[in-house]
Amino acid sequence: MKLNNYIDGNLIFLLQENKKREVLLQMINSICENKRLNNKERVNEAIFYRESLMSTGIGLGIAVPHVRIKGIKEPIVAVGIQKDGIPDYETIDNIPVKIVFLIIAGEDQHKEYIQILSLVVTKLKQSEVRERLIEAKSKEELYQILIS
Amino acid sequence: MLIGLTVFLGTSASRLFKRFKVPQVIAFIIIGFLLGDSVFGIINREFLSAFSPFNIFVLGITGFLIGGELKKEIFGKYGKQFINILFSEALLSFVLVTAFVVLIGNMFFDNSAFVWALGLLLGAISAATAPASTTDVLWEYKTRGPLTTTILGIVGLDDGLGLVLFAIASSITFAIVGTGAPAISSMFFHILYDIGVSVGIGILGGFLLSLIIKKISDKYGIITFSLGIIILILGISDFLECDVLLSAMTAGVFMTNYIPRKSKEMFELISELMPAPYVVFFTLFGAQLNLGNLNLPIIFIVIGYLIGRTLGKGLGANMGARISKAPATVKKYLPWCLFSQAGVAIGLSILASERFPGEIGDSIVVIITVTTFVVQIVGPLAMRIAVTGAGEAGLNITEEDIIRESEAKDIMDINVPFIYEHMPLAQILKTFSETDNLYYPVVDKNQRMLGVITVDHIKNSLMTTGLHSFIIAYDLMEPVVAKVSPDLPMTEVFEILNRYNIEYLPVVSGSDKVIGFLERRQISRKIFSKLIELQKKAEALG
Repeated sequence: MKLNNYIDGNLIFLLQENKKREVLLQMINSICENKRLNNKERVNEAIFYRESLMSTGIGLGIAVPHVRIKGIKEPIVAVGIQKDGIPDYETIDNIPVKIVFLIIAGEDQHKEYIQILSLVVTKLKQSEVRERLIEAKSKEELYQILIS
Repeated sequence: MLIGLTVFLGTSASRLFKRFKVPQVIAFIIIGFLLGDSVFGIINREFLSAFSPFNIFVLGITGFLIGGELKKEIFGKYGKQFINILFSEALLSFVLVTAFVVLIGNMFFDNSAFVWALGLLLGAISAATAPASTTDVLWEYKTRGPLTTTILGIVGLDDGLGLVLFAIASSITFAIVGTGAPAISSMFFHILYDIGVSVGIGILGGFLLSLIIKKISDKYGIITFSLGIIILILGISDFLECDVLLSAMTAGVFMTNYIPRKSKEMFELISELMPAPYVVFFTLFGAQLNLGNLNLPIIFIVIGYLIGRTLGKGLGANMGARISKAPATVKKYLPWCLFSQAGVAIGLSILASERFPGEIGDSIVVIITVTTFVVQIVGPLAMRIAVTGAGEAGLNITEEDIIRESEAKDIMDINVPFIYEHMPLAQILKTFSETDNLYYPVVDKNQRMLGVITVDHIKNSLMTTGLHSFIIAYDLMEPVVAKVSPDLPMTEVFEILNRYNIEYLPVVSGSDKVIGFLERRQISRKIFSKLIELQKKAEALG
């Protein structure tokens, strides 16, 4: 299983917003439009509920908001980069979140879901990768970094 | 229509009587009495006569099932005890009933031959104990222990002794009343013929059935072949004019000792068929009762019979138990368990009326019918008190019984640890390591059901790296397929588990709060422990 299989060039964003709520809403909106999902409200509700249980800011400037929802046929991965950071996104090390990987999977796709999360974390553990992502100037450049 | 009415009313009455802890056989008899000629006249004599073959069938099946309880291991352990008790209670009953009837009869009748004939025949009949109603009470109260084993052994055997005594009494009666009685040698030949041929038919029939049962495994085949062979045994015994009960019982003894494992399923399947026939059998018996034939001498003889039989059975059983050093519960409670008389006694009374038509036969039929009615009211009640007092009620329970009688709240694990939805992976792993559950309920802060974490989920997360810091229970849980309430019968719990092919079910309150958890393997464990506990209780009784 490779992370490349889930990276979609249409779901890579250079984020303008710098508030957690707006960032997540923007990413969810784009996902639902792009993937033609008709349950945007449900996705919003699920993502924010998950955040209320424990923030997905995992440190090192990374956030991995994630959720499983009924009716999703295959896992969706969206990537957002905010160079200036998202100060109100809670993290375990207080380093502002600059890289957001939003993952949505089907309710019964437990195994793939866990594996994608693990692949994301493994990739982003490398500081070089994180720096390149933050410095990237375009979506295409981001895409190339992610699939390399 | 009458059969349907009989079954419906009998069953309804037994449910009502059960609330007052009265044995169901009494309900059947009372309903029969009400339906019979004595009250509403719905069931008449012609109908009852037509059902004679059915009565033989029910008695035969009962004898077969009783035989099935008589395993050689029991005789090895209890043989001497059975023989001592059997002869004591049967012979003392015979002696005392004969004495009382003769004493009372001489006060009312001048014909001493008639009085002695009555005494001897009634004395012989008094030796028999009703296997059907006795075992019905034992099965109804699911008893197990030395008292139960002794009762099953005695009621199975004393019918045979009753037949022997009746044959002897008949021959003596023939001589007394001077109706061209056969000689003593012919009398003994007849006894030998009766018992020998009955046992022979039973063994042959049992052997044939065992050959068939060994080769088939489907339930339909087992039931149909078993019933077919049993009916054949009964038919041949009846045709050869020997004892149908003894033949059927011998076949049962043969099966349970020759192919014990394979025959166990057969006996269970046949037992499951019997509730409805028993309802009809005892209800029709109640319908036979006609109080119009009672006169003062007969009433006094009835009283004398009852006193003599009660004393004989009671004192004889106690004496036999003491001589053979039976367990304390047998010595104390067995005297209360041998009062019932029914099919065999009634059958012998009908036989007496055929052999000695006229005053002797008619008197015997009335006396036995009335006394049977009385002892069938008192007997099961006394037995219920005895088996409960001996601590043997409720010990003969199967796994199916426990499941049938339990609800979710009786079996559920109330100590299952909750996994709160925000609990991080590290804490979840700690919980897993400290308990042996394979499934855990995930709940919100109000302990309401959200999902379940399984050991597979844990395995998946362990095999991946870097997740421990941000994965929580909410991420790992799977949605719940079904939930049950605490008062759902366990039979329905299993039905849901099988329908969805799942291994667990959360138990929730009305507000969806988790109050317990059912895991299939833990259910099995719990039921098994309960069975072991009951088995140990039964063994501790002696």
